[in-house]
Amino acid sequence: MNQPDEEKDALRRRCAELEAENRAYARYIRDKTNHLLGVIGTKELEEDELDDQALIKLDPIGIVARSFLQILTNLNQTIDELREAKNELQAIFDATGVGISIVDRNFVVERCNEKQREMLVDSSVEEVVGRHCFEVYCDRNAPTSECPALDSFETGKAALVREVQKKGRWFQLVTTPFSRAEDGSINRVIEVSMDITEKKKVEDAEKELREFCQTERRKLATVIESLSEGLLVVDEQGRIVSCNLAADEITEQRIGENCNRPLDDAIAEFAPLLRSDAGNVQGVEVMTRTRQGYDLLLSVNVGCLSDNEGRPLGHVLTFRDITEEKKRAELYHRAEKLAAIGQLSAGVAHELNTPLGSVLGYARLLLKDKALPDNLKNWAEIIAEQAKKSSTIIQGLLRFARQSNPAHRCLEHCFLNDVIQRTLPVLSTELDKRKIELISELNPVAPVVADPQELEQLVLNLTMNAMQAIGEKGCVRIETAQAGSKVVMKISDDGPGVPEEIRFRIFDPFFTTKAPGEGTGLGLSLCSGIVSDMGGAIDIAGGEDRGATFIVSLPASDAVEGSGDLHE
Amino acid sequence: MESREIVEIVDLNILGQVCPACLLVALDALNNHEESLRCGTKRLVVRTDHRDSTRTIPKAARKMGYDVEVKKVDSCYEISIGRKYEPTR
Repeated sequence: MNQPDEEKDALRRRCAELEAENRAYARYIRDKTNHLLGVIGTKELEEDELDDQALIKLDPIGIVARSFLQILTNLNQTIDELREAKNELQAIFDATGVGISIVDRNFVVERCNEKQREMLVDSSVEEVVGRHCFEVYCDRNAPTSECPALDSFETGKAALVREVQKKGRWFQLVTTPFSRAEDGSINRVIEVSMDITEKKKVEDAEKELREFCQTERRKLATVIESLSEGLLVVDEQGRIVSCNLAADEITEQRIGENCNRPLDDAIAEFAPLLRSDAGNVQGVEVMTRTRQGYDLLLSVNVGCLSDNEGRPLGHVLTFRDITEEKKRAELYHRAEKLAAIGQLSAGVAHELNTPLGSVLGYARLLLKDKALPDNLKNWAEIIAEQAKKSSTIIQGLLRFARQSNPAHRCLEHCFLNDVIQRTLPVLSTELDKRKIELISELNPVAPVVADPQELEQLVLNLTMNAMQAIGEKGCVRIETAQAGSKVVMKISDDGPGVPEEIRFRIFDPFFTTKAPGEGTGLGLSLCSGIVSDMGGAIDIAGGEDRGATFIVSLPASDAVEGSGDLHE
Repeated sequence: MESREIVEIVDLNILGQVCPACLLVALDALNNHEESLRCGTKRLVVRTDHRDSTRTIPKAARKMGYDVEVKKVDSCYEISIGRKYEPTR
């Protein structure tokens, strides 16, 4: 073999060696690249995908190295951020107004901030971390069933305990699961303690205030319900907001069950009082009508309601039934007037009685004079008769004036039926003359306490009144009956009756429907006085057109009342 | 990424290539445009039809601290990589 051939062989071998080295390098690069790709998390390079030449040209190690540099830079940046966040969290952990500690599964305190130590740990305890939470926080040897940490470990949920007392203050504790073990169980919790002493004080004060308000509201409701006056609260739109029981009773409506309806619907007569610009009004008399159709006179007060800032809220109306009060007042005025008439009459009667006695006395003296001529004797008789008549009228007047004076009475137990039977014969002549039939139906009645003479006068006056009403022919009926504790006497006639417009006056003294000179107008007035003094009542019934019935109701004597001792 | 900034799109078409070559090409582009991608003036949009790439490229880019969005456009995928939004501290 010549030299050129040898050189060629040597070069060929060298080339083969170099190619082998190149392949080894390429293999090395490919292996390293695959290794790095594995670190990144992708699969290995395929040779047919990227041949050695392309691989070397691509410089995958360089690429991955530069990428790793970016990843490293990013990681460093992330670490810095995490460190910063950790510092922030530590600052928050230390500076927060609530106590925070981290407790592990064995109830050992891993971390505890200053606030937690300040709030829950006694100053004598130096180290908290590493010790049991129940020991340093609760002064116990083991966690109790109320321990929120125990609850969170068992349930895996946040737990709350309110009103834990420590160092004279109140706390609220909340534990929240913080981290889990591999088996998924909670192995650490964060415990947050909050001082709620001030909040509790406010809550207690609010509770006390609420109870006070509720008590006051109940008191007010009781007062309103117990008022005898009706009360309605009406809002600005004129709707009834509330009402009391008395309002329902007075108006005979169920306003309380239908609140929120317009006032116009319930008591339309009240509405103008709210529309007026007068504001508060007092004692306005309003006439309305009950559901049963009776007239109802109400005295109404209206007050304006407003809130704290003076904005109008509506009105409150109070009212009372003054129908009877008004009637009583009218009766009182009439009674006063009648008393004045009585006193005047008594004075006049007394003054007239003495000279009239003289007139009668001298007339009788004249009649005894046998020398008196007959014509003068007749005149003297007329004088005596008229004087006697006048005297009767005067006696009536004096009786009327004396009727309220109990000193003149002689009270005893009287049987009304006996009195009637004793009195009626007195009238028999007059009854026969006038063709008036008298029917009596006397049922067993209890005795009454009365002056027998007054009782006789009562029967006599009422019977005569009936006869006078009838005139010449008719029927008078007298009935007695026991009605509970009352003895009732009814005297009816079939005369013309008593017109409605004069019924309230027929018991007044000197009131008469007879022609002047025919009646004094004192009979029924005397009856009314006698009955009233006995504690009874007298009333008139019957139709306007025909007939009248006087009903006298007298209290039965207590001595025999209820004993069944009735007298026929 | 703020919408008002003018962002240059760097289009990287690797249709037809498969992993991990796709990943290396994408990483190379991320290395080459690192600065402008970091400051948000550029956004790299990789167009690939290789499904694995939609997993490997975003994973690596996120580790490098980039924001990545992947969406399917017609028959291929577009992986958009750019500056991660960071709230003002």
